[in-house]
Amino acid sequence: MMEILELAQKRKAEAAELYEARTEALGVVFHGGEVEKVGSEAIVGRALRVILGGKLGFASTAGGAPEALLEAALGAAQHGDPAPFRFPTLRNGTKVEAFDPAVPKISAEELLTWGEEAVRAIRAEFPELVVNVYLSRTTTEVVIRNTAGGERREKRTGISLTVGVERVREGDIWLIYETQAVRRLVDLDRKGLVEKLLQKLHWGVEVVPPPVGKPPVLFLPSAVPVLVLPLTHGLSGLSVFLGTSPLKGRLGEQAFHKEFNLVDDGLIPFGPRSRSFDDEGLPVGRLPLVEDGVVQSFFYDLRAAALNGVESTGNGLKGGPFGDGGFRAPPGPAPRHLLIRPGEGSLEALMRDMKEGLVVSDVIGLGQGNIQSGAFSNNVSVGFVVRNGKVVGRVKNTMIFGNAYEVLKNGLIQIGGEPEWVGGSLYTPPLLVEGVSVVGR
Amino acid sequence: MEACLREVLTRSKADYAEIRWEEIFRSRVVFQREQLLALEATEERGGIVRALVDGAWGLAVFTDLDELSKKIEEATCLARTAARHVRDKVFLAEVEPVEDHYHGQMVRDIRGIPLEEKRKLVQNYNKIVLESHPAIVASSVRYADSLRRVVYANSEGTYIEQEVPDVTLMLAAVARKNGDVQQGFESLGFAGGFEKALGHEEKARAAAKRAVDLLSAKPVKGGRYTVILDPDLAGVFIHEAFGHICEADFLLRNEPMRRVMELGKRFGVETLNVVDDGFIPGARGNCPYDDEGVPRRRVYLIREGVLTGLLHSRATAKKLGAKPTGNARAVSWEHEPIVRMRNTFIEPGSYTFEEMLEGIEYGIYACGAFGGQTEFEQFTFSAAYGYEIVNGKIGEMVRDVVLTGNVFQTLRSIEMIGKDFQLRGSAGGCGKGGQWPLPITTGAPHVRIRDVIVGGR
Repeated sequence: MMEILELAQKRKAEAAELYEARTEALGVVFHGGEVEKVGSEAIVGRALRVILGGKLGFASTAGGAPEALLEAALGAAQHGDPAPFRFPTLRNGTKVEAFDPAVPKISAEELLTWGEEAVRAIRAEFPELVVNVYLSRTTTEVVIRNTAGGERREKRTGISLTVGVERVREGDIWLIYETQAVRRLVDLDRKGLVEKLLQKLHWGVEVVPPPVGKPPVLFLPSAVPVLVLPLTHGLSGLSVFLGTSPLKGRLGEQAFHKEFNLVDDGLIPFGPRSRSFDDEGLPVGRLPLVEDGVVQSFFYDLRAAALNGVESTGNGLKGGPFGDGGFRAPPGPAPRHLLIRPGEGSLEALMRDMKEGLVVSDVIGLGQGNIQSGAFSNNVSVGFVVRNGKVVGRVKNTMIFGNAYEVLKNGLIQIGGEPEWVGGSLYTPPLLVEGVSVVGR
Repeated sequence: MEACLREVLTRSKADYAEIRWEEIFRSRVVFQREQLLALEATEERGGIVRALVDGAWGLAVFTDLDELSKKIEEATCLARTAARHVRDKVFLAEVEPVEDHYHGQMVRDIRGIPLEEKRKLVQNYNKIVLESHPAIVASSVRYADSLRRVVYANSEGTYIEQEVPDVTLMLAAVARKNGDVQQGFESLGFAGGFEKALGHEEKARAAAKRAVDLLSAKPVKGGRYTVILDPDLAGVFIHEAFGHICEADFLLRNEPMRRVMELGKRFGVETLNVVDDGFIPGARGNCPYDDEGVPRRRVYLIREGVLTGLLHSRATAKKLGAKPTGNARAVSWEHEPIVRMRNTFIEPGSYTFEEMLEGIEYGIYACGAFGGQTEFEQFTFSAAYGYEIVNGKIGEMVRDVVLTGNVFQTLRSIEMIGKDFQLRGSAGGCGKGGQWPLPITTGAPHVRIRDVIVGGR
């Protein structure tokens, strides 16, 4: 398959890049506390980018022949647009640990046992609940090679565990889940995940009316994406070039609260998305995006960098803002690990300080609405009411509205001291804010 | 291919086994502003094997067809491992074995259209969007087509070959004024060939105009209102909020939820009828045979306000004592079939739009769907735009219209169902269990609902 690059040059392409991902995975699913299936995956996916006559072409395939892949990429280049960038010579950079040899050895039997453990632990305290568990382990070997020379090759492992619990009563159906994505077996905290779930289940025994109007709102780490998702759009070098980022032209400006610090850190060993190089083969790094509320940088892939006349920051990930597109997607600018700098105080202390308010743990409708402007409007699927500094129950039929840029500039009351990984790429403490509208019945 | 698959299946030691091998042609053109962000044509192949042993499923997904026999053994072995842990076993409802071919119609085969022609079409729509108004600062115009060729065989003798074409077009405009950014879009999806993507210039202009209009629209004031949903939004509502909870796979091991979704229960007014149909000529959700080889059936989910049907796979049908409906669908070879919708709609009623406006002192006319999500009974969806209704008349344009609520309460609060009707596909698709985008359509007339929570600032 690697000869495809020479073949491309024989066909008059000035440059070409091959991306190959070999994935082997094993997963189990439990529904209603019962095993439903065990499945394996063995997928070889490839993507080819070529520059022909100065124009860029992209194609991908699974299970297809190299010749067909080359034809497709050349065909795309013929009618493509000028490539604003050149493929870089690939050099070894800092190694960021991403492979744990213990992961490929995890057996179906082990996954099944862990699933059963989680079911038992929940049912011991809440026997009437419906428990669903999704467990998988993945090993992916990525190889990138281009005609500028050099090769990057890396094996990465991952384990993901999601436990979902349904409480079903006439007129009151509640779904709550916790999820963990790690690269290393020792980082999988099965017990901790179940404990967190149980804590929320205990908090949610009673249904109480939400505080409405503009009460203080405490976003638990799992809900912080409501505020951060618009920023992944706004801080992308491509959005800046296209003019759809509200942060365009505001480098050096105090666009956020002075306590707000955001870093895109690709160098965390065994971080859930850790890798030594991005999907264009460039070394990853640590990129401060916001410091003391001041916009420091945007993140770029090769294309966005060239369009803006800057260097790539090693943020070319396949599949856009979430970087989870697999071999099929061309690379685009995406953060590696977003870190919000923690402040002080435990969760209990934050609740004590807020006295009366709404705790948001999960929402539905994430990413819905006018993300570009920062507007959010979400149904609170898992949320709790705090009175006198203590949780008194959960909410139903409650929505939150606001603008992420506004909240992170003028509404930030306190940043908590206990960060957690969320959704595989965000490491954030709870955020206590004001300026969020709460509507409910 | 047929002989090979049949031969491998006869050697399977599982209680039941099936193979689905797919070859997918796809192409895609994306413009954002004047940038061509994607121009691709791609073919890929891959397969999935499912084996049922002693009431548990084993699966194997693969891209190397030479490994087929090995993959059947692997899936069987995984099923056996799972079976040692399962008490509530899975059984399949019986269906007649089928041998058939189905080829979706394309007037202009997408595979035969040069990328250059696709690019020109998209570039032209993009130009229309960008040049419509000085306030338009960005665009996103996306064309995507695919032809999914599926070969399906199972150990009961079923062998089906299907070719399902799909064409989508997203026309989106971004307008900006004093730091305020608004979007307008038209989202289209069809089961057909390249011809379906042609002639949407007016839609491109409409998308741009809406983005510009929204700049001067006022944010809706949050509260509880009588709301009229346009057919677009009403269709998305019935799919998102109600259709998903009729998917019987999540009732399979969920006793309490089965009681909530008991057939014969009243869910809404007598004029409310909701249907999921596996075949309507040209509709994007068509699925003549599902990915378990089951022929389509038309299902009345709600008839005269009463819950009369659910959507089934073979396993859920067996468990719930129903007939399989042909709703077990997969988005591609990487995934197993799960219970999904096809063409889902509210049947038309008897009211004109004017009659529906009557008597509303202050309400909201919510139009178009920006997105929608549901979590069982809780739903939330964003209208693309809306209007105030003041004393029975359409008033000023409003934006940021987000509706939320409890689906059971909301269905009971439907007051009037319009006599107009529209069934449409969109450029996206339905997402569930990590499988996205599945081609579907949604349909409805105008629908009037009281007491809807509308969010706003």
